[in-house]
Amino acid sequence: MFVKRILIAAAALAYLGFLAVLGAAYLIGLKQASAWPPIGGGRAIGNKDLPKVEKNVQQLEKRMIGLLPKGLYIVIDTAENRLYVKNGKDVVRTAVVSCGSGVVLEESGGKQRKWVFDTPRGEFSVKSKITNPYWVKPDWAFIEEGESIPKGLEDRIEGGTLGDYALGFGQGFFIHGTLYTRLLGRNVTHGCVRVGDEDLKAIFKAVPMGAKIYIY
Amino acid sequence: MLAALLMAGLVCAGPAAGADKADLAKKQNSLSAEYSLAKDSPFYFVLDILGRKLELRVRGMVLRSWPVKVMRFWGRPELSGNVELVRKTALKAPERIVIKPGGDAKKVEAAPAAAAKPTGTSAAPSNPAEFDLEALELKDMPKEFSLDFDNGLHILIKAKTGASGGLLGSIREGWGWYVDLPLRNLFGPRTGKGHSELELTFENDKDAQSIYWHLFDGIKGIIL
Repeated sequence: MFVKRILIAAAALAYLGFLAVLGAAYLIGLKQASAWPPIGGGRAIGNKDLPKVEKNVQQLEKRMIGLLPKGLYIVIDTAENRLYVKNGKDVVRTAVVSCGSGVVLEESGGKQRKWVFDTPRGEFSVKSKITNPYWVKPDWAFIEEGESIPKGLEDRIEGGTLGDYALGFGQGFFIHGTLYTRLLGRNVTHGCVRVGDEDLKAIFKAVPMGAKIYIY
Repeated sequence: MLAALLMAGLVCAGPAAGADKADLAKKQNSLSAEYSLAKDSPFYFVLDILGRKLELRVRGMVLRSWPVKVMRFWGRPELSGNVELVRKTALKAPERIVIKPGGDAKKVEAAPAAAAKPTGTSAAPSNPAEFDLEALELKDMPKEFSLDFDNGLHILIKAKTGASGGLLGSIREGWGWYVDLPLRNLFGPRTGKGHSELELTFENDKDAQSIYWHLFDGIKGIIL
């Protein structure tokens, strides 16, 4: 009986101790949190420094505007599969596209290479503009099909699959047409950006060589 | 009378001018931080705490903006300044599909439009958005995850619509926020800062999923 009472008292003490520690921790946390977020931020400006700071802000705003791409440029959202042709802050055209599937292809024999079919993210520019493009099938296209890799270039060339136009943006990646129009809006490609015929024609005609491409 | 009005005007203008100066100082700091990022990094994010929004930007342009629906924090997060995303952690992180040569590779893509069967004659969904593709898409991204930054900041991202996890989920969340966090703050590693956490809740699942998609490891950002 006595032992039982001792145990109950110990349990009650432990529980009260836990509550006290938790309460203390909570109060300390609340005290810290009450000082945040700091309103205003930055150090105070004296009247003497005011013109200098205003000038500095104006210069920084001018510099930021200077970073914007000049003329038409392309923005591609790989998550939503959307392509935007923009001029300054205005959207000139929106197109539903297909971006990389994110699938990994592994070569079981041979060199045991590995490919990740992602559309590359970053800042690019239009490096080539091609009418009636042919697809020079890379090694992965044959490996994926379970076919042997041909020796000659002529065996790699395939017409019609890339649509009527292609805009190259480096490292073998293109914005091109597609036969698989039902899959526009989905992530299905090997890294290139597929666009419907009408949109592709308009983009090809409007966007000049060297125009910036932002893929995110 | 005019002098009295002028005096009253001056008295009223006093605090307002102070606020303007503080705003100007803040603007200078944020512009300076953003310019240093924008000129070198292709993409960066801006988390505007007081403005309650998270933005993905490039060269000063806003690419995506996600309004923060609910925000709560514990401790004193060291927020303002430039940060770098070190790690994204999700309970169920998305996995890439691996294709073996000559296997199911062709299943990734459906038949070309011209050769596709007319809708209604097959069991396949008529809406292309419903096809189950072998691909990593936005819908595969987690709806709740955490972001760890190089300055020790820990941000939990979640969606308002996906918040309900039943009674067990509520108990787990309550324990984490009201018991675990205060205790970790008190007994955590003695770095002098204590443990702090920021929790951002967005309007819908898609917002949270697209944040997971777009905020890649190593992305730099500014917290205002």
